[in-house]
Amino acid sequence: MKKAQFMEIEGRSFGYLALLGILGAIILVALGAWYVMEHHGHYVTGMNNAIVWGTPHIFAIFLIVAASGALNVASISSVFNKTAYKPLARLSGLLAIALLAGGLMILVLDLGRPDRLIVAMTYYNFKSIFAWNIILYNGFFVIVAVYLWMMMQQSMNKYSKPVGIAAFLWRLILTTGTGSIFGFLVARDAFDAAIMAPMFIIMSFSFGLAIFLLVLMASYRWTGRPLGDALFQRLKNLLGVFVAAVLYFVLAYHLTNLYATEHHGIEAFILRDGGIYTQLFWIGQIVLGSLLPLLLFYHPSWGKKRSLVGLGAVLVIIGGLIQLYVLIIGGQAYPLEIFPGKEVIESSFFDGQVAQYTPSMWEVLLGLGGMAVALIMVALAVKILRFLPTSLADEDVDPHHSA
Amino acid sequence: MTQLALVIDLNVCVGCHACVTSCKQWNTSGAAGPLFDDNPYGKDPTGTFFNRVQTYEVGNYPNTETIHFPKSCLHCEDAPCVPVCPTGASYKRENDGIVLVDYDKCIGCKYCSWACPYGARELDEKEQVMTKCTLCVDRIYDESLPEAERKPACVMACPTNARLFGDVHDPDSEVSVAIREQGGYQLMPEWGTKPANHYLPRRKTKMHIHEDELVRVDNPLKKEDIRHKTTKDVTLDDWLL
Repeated sequence: MKKAQFMEIEGRSFGYLALLGILGAIILVALGAWYVMEHHGHYVTGMNNAIVWGTPHIFAIFLIVAASGALNVASISSVFNKTAYKPLARLSGLLAIALLAGGLMILVLDLGRPDRLIVAMTYYNFKSIFAWNIILYNGFFVIVAVYLWMMMQQSMNKYSKPVGIAAFLWRLILTTGTGSIFGFLVARDAFDAAIMAPMFIIMSFSFGLAIFLLVLMASYRWTGRPLGDALFQRLKNLLGVFVAAVLYFVLAYHLTNLYATEHHGIEAFILRDGGIYTQLFWIGQIVLGSLLPLLLFYHPSWGKKRSLVGLGAVLVIIGGLIQLYVLIIGGQAYPLEIFPGKEVIESSFFDGQVAQYTPSMWEVLLGLGGMAVALIMVALAVKILRFLPTSLADEDVDPHHSA
Repeated sequence: MTQLALVIDLNVCVGCHACVTSCKQWNTSGAAGPLFDDNPYGKDPTGTFFNRVQTYEVGNYPNTETIHFPKSCLHCEDAPCVPVCPTGASYKRENDGIVLVDYDKCIGCKYCSWACPYGARELDEKEQVMTKCTLCVDRIYDESLPEAERKPACVMACPTNARLFGDVHDPDSEVSVAIREQGGYQLMPEWGTKPANHYLPRRKTKMHIHEDELVRVDNPLKKEDIRHKTTKDVTLDDWLL
């Protein structure tokens, strides 16, 4: 096994420029969509008084959760001393920063008053988990940036392990914070569960690695650099374990809810009677987002085909977005239980009914814009700095490789 | 400590929505500017309302009754919307217990809306900040108004006097007496939020009349049961008997 050589990509090909152009165009369109929502107000979106967090939040939370998960590959090498992952650590850190930036862009632009971001940064209510998240996000940027510096400057390499451990712990706290935004919600039937924090952590492992795998595949394919099968298979198997773990947490969450009579209403809504939410749960989250990727990853022959594994990773991402949609939008659509056992027969203001929500074009465009921001940051960074090893061929990275 | 609140008598509320419209009128004309309305004269009007009436049915047919339930912010003593606010824009006043939103500090993250178990938070979809019932804080302390009018607009408007306003911590106040003597209760007390607003329950009004009250012991007709012949002309007795 050789010491990995890192090199910037050339970045002059038509394909590269086209990629930048497409991503840039998506970002411009997203900014336009944001302007429409900001200018007219909340009512041009699908959101209303009952569904206050809509599609932009789905994308934002997905990217933020995935950001902390994308750092895992670096953590595996620095914290758990797996040398095979060491060449991937820089890309892992870069992706973590980029995904968080994309997610936060959506989150901030989706605020009712993004112009008051300075208020959020200067007035902290420390009893609010939301305020803690603001600190955790900012801290994550700093700590991962320092981590990248330690990894990329040779004289600082010796500090990369302690900083890597700090980054690993920080990311666990960060995702605990993100999950707790929902775990601490006493008022809503679908939430108020301690399992939210660990479930979000395991979701981050899965979503982050799926994005990492796709970015890795794309960048090595498009630059013509070798990517070894052994390394690829390792990452794929790990992703499969994470997908299965998410499924396990989802199972535990629903079984616990099904046991308690007070949660039967929300469970019936999500699992059986919820219309679009039920369909999204079973078809989108369970079949397309979990079972099918597991089949693709672990099938004896399909699991060896990169295109099918890539498809599996794409499905994990789509399934993850759907999972958050069902959890967040479905959880809001289910009415508050204010008159237990009583059916509200009339309310001039739609209270006591399942809330209606249809995502507007503007919301979806803003969400896609956040994804494009994350990807363009990666595309630019790998051209400017040495993030990608020149070779990830098995003989170069696998300590157990026998040629 | 003072805790101002509303006490709403469900026994006399007829669901007329006068409290809803008067609330909207007062608050849309207030210093914070108009409350948002989308499609106000169309098929599905929506908008920001601090006060809403819900109607639900109890019992099974034919033994049912309809209950009209006006609901606004309950000004909880342990309000879950206050600790969750990242900037502290959502706060509870110490001097009178009113829960308010500082519209200039609200960043519109809408997390308080998730936290309120009563669905009392109202997003202003135009200003994009969170709003809610203020107990007409701009009215109840207004010394330019006659003292009798220093009450929330909904209390002034209610045609059946179903809404009372006062300090629920003062045991001698009208609201405390009503809660104590007429079985006032809180909405979903199990949340532990200690809502300051209380509701007086539906009460069946029944009279017990014994038979001897209908057939009076001293009824002269009972003793003799003789009706005197009357003239054919219509007299006052024709109407009485």
